[in-house]
Amino acid sequence: MGTTRVVAAEGLRYRYGETVALDGVDLEVGAGECVALLGPNGAGKSTLVTIVVGLRAAQEGAVRVLDGDPRRAATRRRLGVAQQTLGFPNTLTVQELVTGAAIRGGLRGSAAGPVLAELGLTDLARRRVAKLSGGQKQRVQLAMALVTEPALLVLDEPTAGLDTSARRHFWQILARRREQGTAVLVTTHLIEESAEVADRVVVLDHGRVLADAPPEELVARLPDRTVTARTRLGRGELERLPGVLSVTPEHDHLVKIQTRAPEELLRVLLDRDPDLSELRVRDAGLEEAVFALTDGGTAEEVAA
Amino acid sequence: MSVLGVRIFRVELRDELRAIVREPTSLFFSILMPVGFFILFNLLYGHGSTQGLSAGTAMVATFGTYGVITVAALQPGIGVAQDRDLGWLRMKRVSAVPVGISLAAKATAALLYGVGVLLLMGVAAAAFGTLDASPWALLRVAVVLLLGTVPFTLFSVAVGLRFRTGATIAMLNAVLFPLAVLSGLWIPIRFLPSAVKHIAEFLPTYHLAELGLAQLGDGSALLHVLALVITTVVAGTVAVMSYRRARI
Repeated sequence: MGTTRVVAAEGLRYRYGETVALDGVDLEVGAGECVALLGPNGAGKSTLVTIVVGLRAAQEGAVRVLDGDPRRAATRRRLGVAQQTLGFPNTLTVQELVTGAAIRGGLRGSAAGPVLAELGLTDLARRRVAKLSGGQKQRVQLAMALVTEPALLVLDEPTAGLDTSARRHFWQILARRREQGTAVLVTTHLIEESAEVADRVVVLDHGRVLADAPPEELVARLPDRTVTARTRLGRGELERLPGVLSVTPEHDHLVKIQTRAPEELLRVLLDRDPDLSELRVRDAGLEEAVFALTDGGTAEEVAA
Repeated sequence: MSVLGVRIFRVELRDELRAIVREPTSLFFSILMPVGFFILFNLLYGHGSTQGLSAGTAMVATFGTYGVITVAALQPGIGVAQDRDLGWLRMKRVSAVPVGISLAAKATAALLYGVGVLLLMGVAAAAFGTLDASPWALLRVAVVLLLGTVPFTLFSVAVGLRFRTGATIAMLNAVLFPLAVLSGLWIPIRFLPSAVKHIAEFLPTYHLAELGLAQLGDGSALLHVLALVITTVVAGTVAVMSYRRARI
């Protein structure tokens, strides 16, 4: 998987007036691959996605999707897109929406049945979408994206509003599709989730790609460790301890401390607070790695 | 249109008609109000005569014009604005649904509304005994009025592509009601101040109503057709410009 290029974008640039949204972005997604686009608000993720799905033309650079121009209808019919902000016409039922999506994608309406079953929507098929919960609507949108058997799925915050079990089920469905060669491009704020499911993460900020690597590789580049403990020491005092990068108070005196010198920090902590409890040390996660990149603090190390 | 295009049009039209049937509140402004006005005025003045026609028959053309432009000027634009607000129009674009097909489905659904309005008015006039025209003449009136909705639909879509739903409803109604009054669609224009007659000659609604009346009497149609063609070209241009600037 991943050898056939489903998305191939080079040197994409896009400006909104004086604001630079994309500043020479390259992006590749291979068949069966899952790529997560990460970055803060305004990083350029949405602009990049709208170019990939053919809603917008890049002002500079080239993009090929499924070896075709994404602005062409024939290419777009091979995509499945789920957008977070989509609202449905309240007058339609689940069945009608998914059937309509199948027909618009050039298939028969009967293609809806198996997808509704796969997403656990069969019992809701006759229910009007206005009467569904947020999570159920999310599943309807995914069904609409999957019903055309797309070669590329573009998903915007696909698991927002889903409970843990529904999330797991969602990623299992996607895993099956990926085994069949479907490529997935996902934008999400759930960074740790993308660490579990994405083959690669592309970190964008201010319209530039800061990193493009497997999540574990990005994490490995970051020397930070997170120390969690319950302590009576105050935030100011903790911030002055040797090797401390940041302190995040949680609740009931529980704090998360970011450090590059965990051994030294632990010695000092235990010395100053004999009642220290619930002590844990763990490697930095993808969230810290992305934060380090986009916050600029240790960006050079992570991007290296 | 390709086979796929036809299938997509059918789905789009089916969705539009479902929206009509399942949201009956929209029927109030689009059907009940024009038909209700027609019945009221027919009961009051239907047995009189105007321009050599029974007043009840003439009202089929004038109130019929009001009825069809109400649906043609409100439904498509409001539908487009709602679809934009929901992100539904964007979803269709991503799904490669040609925007022309989507808009054609909205216009067709509005036309079907219009057919309903005209049928109800015709039945009501016949029931009150004020209808005095051949079926052929009435059919011509219906065809002319329905075809004459094209510029109003284009204008409606142009507004819906640029404004949010609430603003679209307000703007279209703000345009529609003065057009109806100043074109003599509710009260015959000869009963209105002469200044109104001069204004009416510049209004497409007036020309559409006169074109409808011409099917029932001997009036000339040429000037009115010309006025409506010019209006269609202008409305079409505005709709295209609106689409190009629309944030979908």
